[in-house]
Amino acid sequence: MHADHPHPPLPPLQQHTITYRPDDEVDFVVVGSGAAGSVVAKELSSAGFRVVVLEQGPWRTEKEFGHDEISVGMENFLTNKWDQSPNTFRADAKQKAKVQPALMYGRLVGGTSVHFSANFWRFREIDFKEASVKGTVPGTGLVDWPITYQDLEPYYTKVDWEVGVAGAPGPFDPPRSRGYPMPPHPPKSTGTLLEIGAKKMGWKAFPAPMAIASQPYDGRSGCVQCGFCIGFGCEVRAKSSALVTMIPKAVATGKCEVRPNSYVRKVQTDAKGRATGVVYFDGNKKEILQRAKAVVVCANGAETPRLLLNSKSNLFPQGLANSSGVVGTHLMFNGGGFASGIFDHEVNGYKGIVATRIVWDLFELDPKLGLSGGGGFDFRSTSTPMQYAMGGLPPKSPTWGKEYKRLLAHHYTRQLDCYGHTTSLPQASNSISLDPDAKDAWGIPAIRMTYKDHPQDLKLFDYFAARGEELLKAAGATETWKAPSTSQEFSVHLLGTCRMGNDPKASVVDKFNRSHDVKNLFIVDGSSLVTSGRGQPTMTIQALAFRAGDNIARFAKRGEI
Amino acid sequence: MPHLSRRAFITSVGGSVAAVWFTAKATDLLASGDFAARASREHPAPPFAILTADQASELDAATALIIPSDATAGAREARVVWFIDKSLGGFARKQRPVFEKGIAELTQRAAKAQKGATSFASLTEAQQIAILTALEKDKKNPFFNALRGATIMGMFANPEYGGNFNKVGWKMIGFDDQFSWKAPFGWYDANAR
Repeated sequence: MHADHPHPPLPPLQQHTITYRPDDEVDFVVVGSGAAGSVVAKELSSAGFRVVVLEQGPWRTEKEFGHDEISVGMENFLTNKWDQSPNTFRADAKQKAKVQPALMYGRLVGGTSVHFSANFWRFREIDFKEASVKGTVPGTGLVDWPITYQDLEPYYTKVDWEVGVAGAPGPFDPPRSRGYPMPPHPPKSTGTLLEIGAKKMGWKAFPAPMAIASQPYDGRSGCVQCGFCIGFGCEVRAKSSALVTMIPKAVATGKCEVRPNSYVRKVQTDAKGRATGVVYFDGNKKEILQRAKAVVVCANGAETPRLLLNSKSNLFPQGLANSSGVVGTHLMFNGGGFASGIFDHEVNGYKGIVATRIVWDLFELDPKLGLSGGGGFDFRSTSTPMQYAMGGLPPKSPTWGKEYKRLLAHHYTRQLDCYGHTTSLPQASNSISLDPDAKDAWGIPAIRMTYKDHPQDLKLFDYFAARGEELLKAAGATETWKAPSTSQEFSVHLLGTCRMGNDPKASVVDKFNRSHDVKNLFIVDGSSLVTSGRGQPTMTIQALAFRAGDNIARFAKRGEI
Repeated sequence: MPHLSRRAFITSVGGSVAAVWFTAKATDLLASGDFAARASREHPAPPFAILTADQASELDAATALIIPSDATAGAREARVVWFIDKSLGGFARKQRPVFEKGIAELTQRAAKAQKGATSFASLTEAQQIAILTALEKDKKNPFFNALRGATIMGMFANPEYGGNFNKVGWKMIGFDDQFSWKAPFGWYDANAR
């Protein structure tokens, strides 16, 4: 905890209200306590169902969080640990995958929402029907969602109010049934400069929707603008992470038990092909079967397909819920075009939340450009001191010595980065599969990632980097640069690997997040996404989770599970 | 988008010998940092635990080239060598050979650069820079990347890890270590509307 922390008198959050025995057949076992799992658990337990949530990581609290770059960046204090859970990577199926960190997620109660930057953009109408409106891209799996923005809108609004989002409608905001529950955060210099640049480009910047309380909300503190959001846990419960929003609410129902340090290795099925529970290792690596009437997998876009593939049996030789062979395929990262600039005066991007203004004028692109998808911009400077000194200076800058030091001292407070967050095309060849050799510390086959950005996407990233550089110049940057786009080999956005669809041969879950193959198995997380959206997927993941929770509860009450 | 900066972070410190710093065990670091925090309150710093006086002196000269001292603090004022010494006795134990070999090489190269020279530290700055530049170009030699990575960490990591003494690294780049901020955050909040 930071030395100057005011120690606000926040009461400890209740972690325990009920204990279920593993052989007690609960109504639902939820695998994963992150953005999606926490919402599903809260919705189902609020509806009166008996729920066990299994989380592979520990239960940390804000007292353990701080501004320590070594702890979060080097020791993975909040995230998956590569020594115990290695993954392999290859660009395409012809290559032999090598052990190489390729994905990162929050490995603790609350999941990745604990350490994310909390950009909470809604998807817009186009994200759900890009293929039919704009045309598909040959050789890709770009298709429409089986649901529309209108289907999801009530649940986006639920996220706004129940999880807690700060913002104000902008010129491109999709139709919303209710306003934001909190005003936007005060603009930083990064946001002011984006406004200036956008105006000169003929665009319009508007307040960034953020899942961070801009004022006290629902028993939580308002943000103190410490600046350590991305990669760090919030010390004052202002960030609307699952850890301090949906998990405590689920626990408070008295119906939900959250078990940390519980690492699920397979979904158990019976001779009729129904899920009967899950098998997990507790903190002492003891194997336990938690029995349940239904299973909801919310383990993220990489761990969810891995779990299904590792759950293969005689009845499900290709892995659970995988008669289509689609499990693990169509992995999407979100892409982006990035540019940076130096300004005359201090921007001090390191203070305060990540982004205060965004630009959506290129959300959809002029068809004449011949590009698929689109994106949105923000200005930020995310680099913490050590990270910046390691590699944040302009390209071709010296990397040590007097001039290196002079540039560090001058640029650190004056540099900002333009992030152009874009779509990624779904491709069947990009996937999460099981590595034939690598195993984790529990002896379970490790994740093998196969990923190569589509040539169309690389063009899109370059287009956004170039527009971003123009935006920086328009804002008054005295020196600008951009890096050429290369195919990504690492991501925290893990999307599309159990895609939603009406056709059981081409998708894994139906439009209510129920698996096509197993009636009492539901899958809700980033893996459900059919298209990637323009970056910032968590808002949509949580809206889907609210919608799934609502429908699953309805099915259960009608005896339809 | 978080992944870019994360990726940049990882590729900047991983994939090379600097990977040892990347796989640092914060708990180990903190264990030695306790000692560090106590020592940082005292003056002068206690003796080195791992490095010999000669090794420390060579390392002091080399890290001071990575982040020199001039009108503002450099690696020397941040006590980077002390940070490295503690790390080599703790979380970076496995990196001891890289540093021991690297330091010995600095001394050997010094003797080649100037007849009769017995240490890298005794050379002129120009001679030292020439040697470090040559080491940097030698991609098979892990020492330069380890040295640079360790110097940066010792300069900018939380002081509790033993370097960044009196937060001199943070002060040098204008990073103000406060827990809470209010607008205006930067010059443009108030002046550019």
